[in-house]
Amino acid sequence: MIMKNLTDVEIIESVKKGNQADYAVLIDRYKNKAFTMLKRMLKNDFDAEEVLMDCFLKAYNNLSSFKFEAKFSTWFYRIVYNSALTKLSSAKRKIENEMSTVDDLQYLESKYLADDFIKEDNSMLIKKIINELPSKNAAVVTMFYLEEFSTEEISDVLQISVANVKVILHRSRNLLREIIEKRNLLQEIL
Amino acid sequence: MKNINDDLLNRLIDDELSSEEKNFVLSELENSPDLKKRYDALLKTNYLLKNIQPDSVSVDFSKMIMQKISKRGIIESQQKRFLVVVLSLLGIIILGIVSYLFYQIINSLQFSDDNQTITTYSNTIGDYFSALFGKKNLSILGSALSFIMLISGYFLYDYQKHSKNNFSH
Repeated sequence: MIMKNLTDVEIIESVKKGNQADYAVLIDRYKNKAFTMLKRMLKNDFDAEEVLMDCFLKAYNNLSSFKFEAKFSTWFYRIVYNSALTKLSSAKRKIENEMSTVDDLQYLESKYLADDFIKEDNSMLIKKIINELPSKNAAVVTMFYLEEFSTEEISDVLQISVANVKVILHRSRNLLREIIEKRNLLQEIL
Repeated sequence: MKNINDDLLNRLIDDELSSEEKNFVLSELENSPDLKKRYDALLKTNYLLKNIQPDSVSVDFSKMIMQKISKRGIIESQQKRFLVVVLSLLGIIILGIVSYLFYQIINSLQFSDDNQTITTYSNTIGDYFSALFGKKNLSILGSALSFIMLISGYFLYDYQKHSKNNFSH
């Protein structure tokens, strides 16, 4: 109970001192949000959980090299993002995802304007669309809204410019707006 | 006059506009119902995105990771013990070889009477190692050493492979 109130830095220091079990607090703190990001990037629950497990083990293994210069969350999400890219790359899906960034957004717009999705709940619909966004867009949206990272932190994780992060974020947000707006569902919201 | 595009509206939502830009966009919003509609839609999309709940991993996820970490700790300590044993064994053998060489060097030198006791003592040790590493036993020792090295190498490789597998899956 008390451990859960500690900061990431305090928990890491405790783990480094040999209190191995305290690492479970960090796992509980990040597992669901990181899983959500991986699931959206990899489009697969099983792969997402497997990669996430590897990420937590990698982070634990490299905890001694963590110098507290960056936030643990940023450092950990970099591991998560890079592991997801490696997984995508090994499955030869990365190229397709990178190439289809623009096309996918247009495809998604037309797909979710179809009759099949008319009766979908808005939050469910948005969740579905995010799950189908290209990997990088999905990662940016998840980190920005779920983990509440700043655009600077996201750029640090993704190793891209802040301007690029903003472009990706705005595009994704615009796409979702277009779909909802065109479907005249806005009146039902709130 | 500057056009109000989606980028500006997004930046307004993220509070990234300068006060001048913000005032301009807000005044445009008041004067243009279409623009206001676009902005409201974006604002509501932003609200929806903020309220999406994360997905959940399986119930025993944390437990599984902690088990793997504990298991890795045990394997690491086993590896350390194993390495200490192998290195000790090799150390003893190397010490024996060095002692034998030392004995050979002492034997080849002339000693004065004052050093007789030391010479006798070193001769005793030397004889022992000479017998141990003599022509008769050398091939047996060589074979034993090679065998130990091979077995050690195999187990070391196996331990490392095993621990790597345990840690990555």
